[in-house]
Amino acid sequence: MAKTILVVDDSASVRQVVSIALKSAGYDIIEGVDGKDALTKLNGQKIHLIISDVNMPNMDGIAFVKAAKQLPAYKFTPVIMLTTESQEAKKLEGQAAGAKAWVVKPFQPAQMLAAVSKLILP
Amino acid sequence: MQTLNIEGEMTIYTAAEQKNLLLAFIASGHTLEINLSQVNELDTAGTQLLILAKQHAAKAQKQLRFVMHSKAVLDVLALANLTSLLGHSD
Amino acid sequence: MSFDEEMQAALETFVIESQELLQTMEDDLLSLEQQTDPSEAIAAIFRAAHTIKGSSGLFGLDHIVRFTHVVESVLDALRDGHLSVSTELVAILLPCRDHIALLVEALAEGQETEDAAQSQTGDALLRQLRPYLGEESAVAPVKATAPTNDPAQTGNWHISLRFGADSFRNGMDPLAFISYLGTLGSIVTLTTLTDALPDAADMNPETSYLGFEIDLQSDVGKEAIEGVFEFVREDSIIHILPPNSSIDSYIDLIRSLPEDEQRLGEILIHSGVLTRRELEAGLQQQGQPTPEGSPPQQIGSILVETQSVPQPLVDAALEKQKQAKESKARENQSIRVDAEKLDILIDLVGELVISCAAANLRAVQLKDSRLLETNAEIIGLVEEVRDSALKLRMVPIGSTFSRFQRVVRDVSADLGKDISLVITGGETEVDKSVIEHIGDPLMHLVRNSMDHGIEAAALRAERGKPAKGTLRLNAYHESGTIVIEVSDDGGGLNRDRILAKAIERGLVQPGITPSDKEIYALIFEPGFSTAEQVSNLSGRGVGMDVVNQNITALRGTIDIDSVPGEGTSLKIRLPLTLAIIDGFLISIGHSFFVIPQDRIIECLEMPSTCNNYDYMDLRGEVLPFIRLGALFKLDTHNDTAEDTTPRNREASKRENVVVVEYAGSKTGLVVDQLLGEFQTVIKPLGKLFNHVQGIGGSTILGSGEVALIIDVPVLVRHYSQREQAALRAVPQYACA
Repeated sequence: MAKTILVVDDSASVRQVVSIALKSAGYDIIEGVDGKDALTKLNGQKIHLIISDVNMPNMDGIAFVKAAKQLPAYKFTPVIMLTTESQEAKKLEGQAAGAKAWVVKPFQPAQMLAAVSKLILP
Repeated sequence: MQTLNIEGEMTIYTAAEQKNLLLAFIASGHTLEINLSQVNELDTAGTQLLILAKQHAAKAQKQLRFVMHSKAVLDVLALANLTSLLGHSD
Repeated sequence: MSFDEEMQAALETFVIESQELLQTMEDDLLSLEQQTDPSEAIAAIFRAAHTIKGSSGLFGLDHIVRFTHVVESVLDALRDGHLSVSTELVAILLPCRDHIALLVEALAEGQETEDAAQSQTGDALLRQLRPYLGEESAVAPVKATAPTNDPAQTGNWHISLRFGADSFRNGMDPLAFISYLGTLGSIVTLTTLTDALPDAADMNPETSYLGFEIDLQSDVGKEAIEGVFEFVREDSIIHILPPNSSIDSYIDLIRSLPEDEQRLGEILIHSGVLTRRELEAGLQQQGQPTPEGSPPQQIGSILVETQSVPQPLVDAALEKQKQAKESKARENQSIRVDAEKLDILIDLVGELVISCAAANLRAVQLKDSRLLETNAEIIGLVEEVRDSALKLRMVPIGSTFSRFQRVVRDVSADLGKDISLVITGGETEVDKSVIEHIGDPLMHLVRNSMDHGIEAAALRAERGKPAKGTLRLNAYHESGTIVIEVSDDGGGLNRDRILAKAIERGLVQPGITPSDKEIYALIFEPGFSTAEQVSNLSGRGVGMDVVNQNITALRGTIDIDSVPGEGTSLKIRLPLTLAIIDGFLISIGHSFFVIPQDRIIECLEMPSTCNNYDYMDLRGEVLPFIRLGALFKLDTHNDTAEDTTPRNREASKRENVVVVEYAGSKTGLVVDQLLGEFQTVIKPLGKLFNHVQGIGGSTILGSGEVALIIDVPVLVRHYSQREQAALRAVPQYACA
């Protein structure tokens, strides 16, 4: 059973590359273009992992993660926050919101795959 | 002999509910069998629950066996080196 | 698609996305100084740089990452209020933006690393940015590398894991980490410790109680192994003993772990780390542990040998308050479509329109009323399809306008004038094909206005005007066309000087006094203004005839309004699309022509008294004629064998006049037959017709015949140039 990952980023190219990398590793991908859009994807379907950018229009990653963690179907779902090295504070804020994992931008697809496989059993 | 079929996932999301289910099942008889063939996902929380069931049954002096492990279950047991504890043969 | 192809596609997305972001960045940078609260614009600029950096890292474009990183750091300081907006800062950030644009453009052309020149430019720009970076935020090295792979000692690592109680609830699955750890080498032994698992009654199924003792054979360095647990180290107890650690360190480990010493010892013996003798000797030798056992290891640290991991100390609360307000909501959801695909669609719709016309023609011939009815319905639908298809290609003109912010900024700096650009009507939509062609003419007009329209500050002061000149770009829709206005509050055109120059050049006969509009229109005459005259004339400069040609080629017109001392306004009127026009089908002899509907004022029957004149009286106005038959040297009148019934011959004898308007004046086109409205798909003309003045394209009729599309402005101008002198020299009288 392929595991499903929700990828939330306002950058189409980031979504595209992350999706390509994760799909090639056998995961199913759902994409969200910002926090607001991503929340509509949390409609009860099984999602094993959420990867979310911090800086996004409409609803930022922190608010999105907080909202997602309120939903019973996703309260234990691991979240990877995409931060930058200049965003140590964001990382902590994200952790407080429930995103206990992070990947620092800029990253390469292999780094994302590594982070994902720490959080999802094959 | 009592048999319990567990279906679907055994994860953090189902752990609370399944703990009650398992304890009730263990209380329901003496020779017990839990069929794991329909478990399609197992995580550490689920694994921990299987261990708890095994220990709890032992303390209550009941016979509990896990049978028909699905591939998802076997993979995780192998990883945790728990196959001898929770595997098919007692 | 293969993986490589997919990555290539993603790279293309990256290029397009970056170009859009860079456009936003430029627009916002240019507007920064004008805004009372620039925080939103700063956030947008920051996000643009941030996203480009983030994405380029994904593609391993280290040169873009390296450069953008510094820009982002400066923007970050700006966002946090450590820096404030200044002209100097904007002046440095703009070329930085340009440099990123250059790198992206090079990438689009297949250059994935920077060349020496680019890196030199980049370094020079970074040196300029450096003063804006606080000392502590000096360029941090950017890590865009795969997980470290330091060579290290071989042998078995011993790893003790006690995950935090909340691990499951936090979405951290211990076995997933262990599974990943296994990918760094091979797990030789693993023991799952259940000692901490309480009785069923006390056990919380969502709490993590398990412990793991692992022996890993791996060549990776300790950093890599530590890295596996970075997400959980703050809540967990993790010990990592490198291969060949001293017996003491194992004993210390056993002492510091919560489980029973003997049990842990058994595990180590079992895994081959220690022998039983070593264990017993070690436990005895160290004697009694410190009074309360050895100090329990602090949660939140990973002990590697004796080296502890420093915790980053950051004042999170303070930073939290600085969280930038998320800026404007992104526009409605949209999808990106290859422009070429749209062109194909529009082309097909064009063919469909022609096919409909053919079907309709057939229905008319058959006099089948039900078929005609059905046809009418189909035609109605096809028109709707055409309209929606064309709408797909409509884009707001705003992005074209906003490019001029930069032009105005740069040119006014060059000219030493203070000029602001005011943009309105940016949301007005127009076909992409029109947008693509309007940039150059607009550039000419804007530069001209700045160069020759708006006066120097001293002169403006003398005239009692504000020192800062204003240039306006405006757009709006008007009866099926888009009107683009370029206006300035400069000195206006010097009517008398233009007229004098025109007479000198023989463009206007002495003694004739054209209207103001006609005089202003003269600046578009080829050769009228050359470099020398620019300085003489208070008005416009080089290239206005080129502008006019470009606009005419787009089937558009330019109007000029000018008030001396108050400014000049140029109004460009363009069709909303170039692909399809509504036309009026006429015939001359056996030839068919289409006159664009929007040029037509009315159609008249030729008064019989006018047959030999080149003018007629149109309700008191003089209406000059252009006899198309004569102009294109065609046999007029359908008096050939196939059309010899007396009635037809009678009807075709009577000529018709189509009154068209161009540049505010009316002209009558004399034709044989009026065949009615006709929707036309424009096909470009072949080279054969290039020399024919006044024909703008061709189309295929439903019957399969070709009709030529008349380019009214070119036709009228061309004809009047030829005829003007003669007409004015020999007085003629208009017929009644």
